[in-house]
Amino acid sequence: MTARRLKVMTGLTLLIIAALFVLLPIYWLIAASTKSTGVLFSSNTFVPSGFASLGRNISALFGFQGDLFRDWIVNSVVYSVVTSCLVVYVASLTGYTLAKFKFVGRGALLATVIGSLMIPSSVLIIPLFILERSLSLSNSYEGVILPLIVSPFVVYFMSFYAEGAVPTSLIDAGRVDGAGELRIFHKIAIPAMTPGLVTMFLITFIGTWNNYFLPLVLLQNGDKYPLTVGLSIWFTDIYSSGVSQPLYPEVILGSLVSILPMLVLFPFLQRYVARGLTLGALGGE
Amino acid sequence: MKVQQSEGGARPPGTGGGTGQDRGRAPQRLRLVRRPSVIAAAEQGRGRPARIPLTMVTPFVVLFGFFFVLPLIYSLVKSTTSDVSGAFTGFTNYSYVLQLGEFWQGVVRMIYFGVIQVTVMIVLALLLALFLDSPYCRGRRFFSVVYFLPFAVPGVIAAIMWGFLFSPQLDVLLHVPQDLGMASGPVNPLGGSAILYAIMLIVTWEATGYNMTIYLTGLSSVTRDVIEAARLDGCSEWRIAWRIKIPLLRPTIIFTIILSIIGTLQLFNEPEIINSLTTLPAGYTPNLLIYQTAFTDGNIPIAAAESVVLAVIIIVASVAFFRIVRRRDARGWGTARPPRRATEPVRLEQAGAAS
Repeated sequence: MTARRLKVMTGLTLLIIAALFVLLPIYWLIAASTKSTGVLFSSNTFVPSGFASLGRNISALFGFQGDLFRDWIVNSVVYSVVTSCLVVYVASLTGYTLAKFKFVGRGALLATVIGSLMIPSSVLIIPLFILERSLSLSNSYEGVILPLIVSPFVVYFMSFYAEGAVPTSLIDAGRVDGAGELRIFHKIAIPAMTPGLVTMFLITFIGTWNNYFLPLVLLQNGDKYPLTVGLSIWFTDIYSSGVSQPLYPEVILGSLVSILPMLVLFPFLQRYVARGLTLGALGGE
Repeated sequence: MKVQQSEGGARPPGTGGGTGQDRGRAPQRLRLVRRPSVIAAAEQGRGRPARIPLTMVTPFVVLFGFFFVLPLIYSLVKSTTSDVSGAFTGFTNYSYVLQLGEFWQGVVRMIYFGVIQVTVMIVLALLLALFLDSPYCRGRRFFSVVYFLPFAVPGVIAAIMWGFLFSPQLDVLLHVPQDLGMASGPVNPLGGSAILYAIMLIVTWEATGYNMTIYLTGLSSVTRDVIEAARLDGCSEWRIAWRIKIPLLRPTIIFTIILSIIGTLQLFNEPEIINSLTTLPAGYTPNLLIYQTAFTDGNIPIAAAESVVLAVIIIVASVAFFRIVRRRDARGWGTARPPRRATEPVRLEQAGAAS
């Protein structure tokens, strides 16, 4: 019994140390967002300062260069919501068709989707920039969203998810009743695949929210930036010479604002996200 | 099917198996057999015009063609042209890239990075998942959520947070070794060769929980019976982990390692952010070099050649890793093994003696 207790306590101690390591930078971000630049350098790193400076930082952040920061929040929301909706719709339609129909080119399409998982994004992003510039698509919402709709991973996931989730007998029942294939997809397949769709929506949403390389390359105007690109540019400004007033409070509070909604929601969403990751991993066999 | 066709009268008389008797009653029987044949065809997903599934995959295929295949082809074409005249130059750019020291230093740096960081991360993730799955764990749900949190933090923001924490003016923890008399000054994680390890720490912070979550969900789908039986037989938790859980997770572990290899070779966000805190050597990672070549130097053909070479390296590395573990399968590392021969006859004898 005591040996068991020792194991429990040792394990718990190690788990707590690991949890502190994970929470350390997030806690620091919260503490630092309550400090002015002066206090940031003179006070203890991990002791918060007070609500007065937090309020000043908030108005500084949202007042900097007009509504720039608010624009970035809106942009991040637009990119993430629109992209995830479209990815989930297009990928589930494609995945369902791959799983439930036999047609010429099915094998080739499936092989292409799986093969494209290995192509690194940098091969695509630079030519995308040139392609979009020549079509005057760059620097626009569509320019960021359209390439992100192409998600081979979600298509691949949905193809084996649909296989098990949509009963073929239900599809046949729909056909016997004379429903068209698209109607069957909307009325039968989508409801049957809802858990998988929710999971893929969340994973795509987080992926788009966190995306950096693609918008960095495709966007030049500050008012189209998502939070990641905007904050990284402010961060770079702090350390480049010739900046009159370093943007420490803005970058710190801005980073906190950009991750807070997801951190708060995450305990509730975690299960759905985890399921998708694991199914993806097992399907990879 | 054959019979139905002949009855339908589609074929010239006398060619099929249909007898004269059948032919006389064909119109009436036709209706009776048609319906099941439609259902049978529907079950196969055939029978409907072939253009329907093709129409349904069209949105994806068009977008894929335009935003994936086209850029890929563009990269391949552009990489064989001159950056000055735009004329076709064959493999000139490739031979330049293949001899480009900066590029290969970046590749080698990332291989070194991956060997250390991926190993540490996968081992940590596996240990955490196995412990959270063991009966000695308290607070499983709480810890599994906390460890997964960094997945919701963009890599850029993680790098910004750690970047601040790596500044000796901002972080008291970096002064602790000095205060204890173990160092002559504050620790500077962004000085000299320490940077690579500082970036490893950021990436490990970001991705350990992600991998742990994959393992933990994988473990929760393992049948409990086997593990309970092993426990009743007096197996220690270590033994259960090593002999049952890890072999069952093996395909998942291989998958996560391949994903990590791909991610490491493409490392960009974290070094790009750290680059503004300190000056990294040019081409610190292959992707940073490609970005600099394309946008700082404005040399798209060379950048395209670099990105194609990187893609080939990534594909070769993934496939090579997969091949190596496959070959190891033959020798049986971490795979569920049947009982050793030595023990089997003994059991049989015992069974024989008992009966």
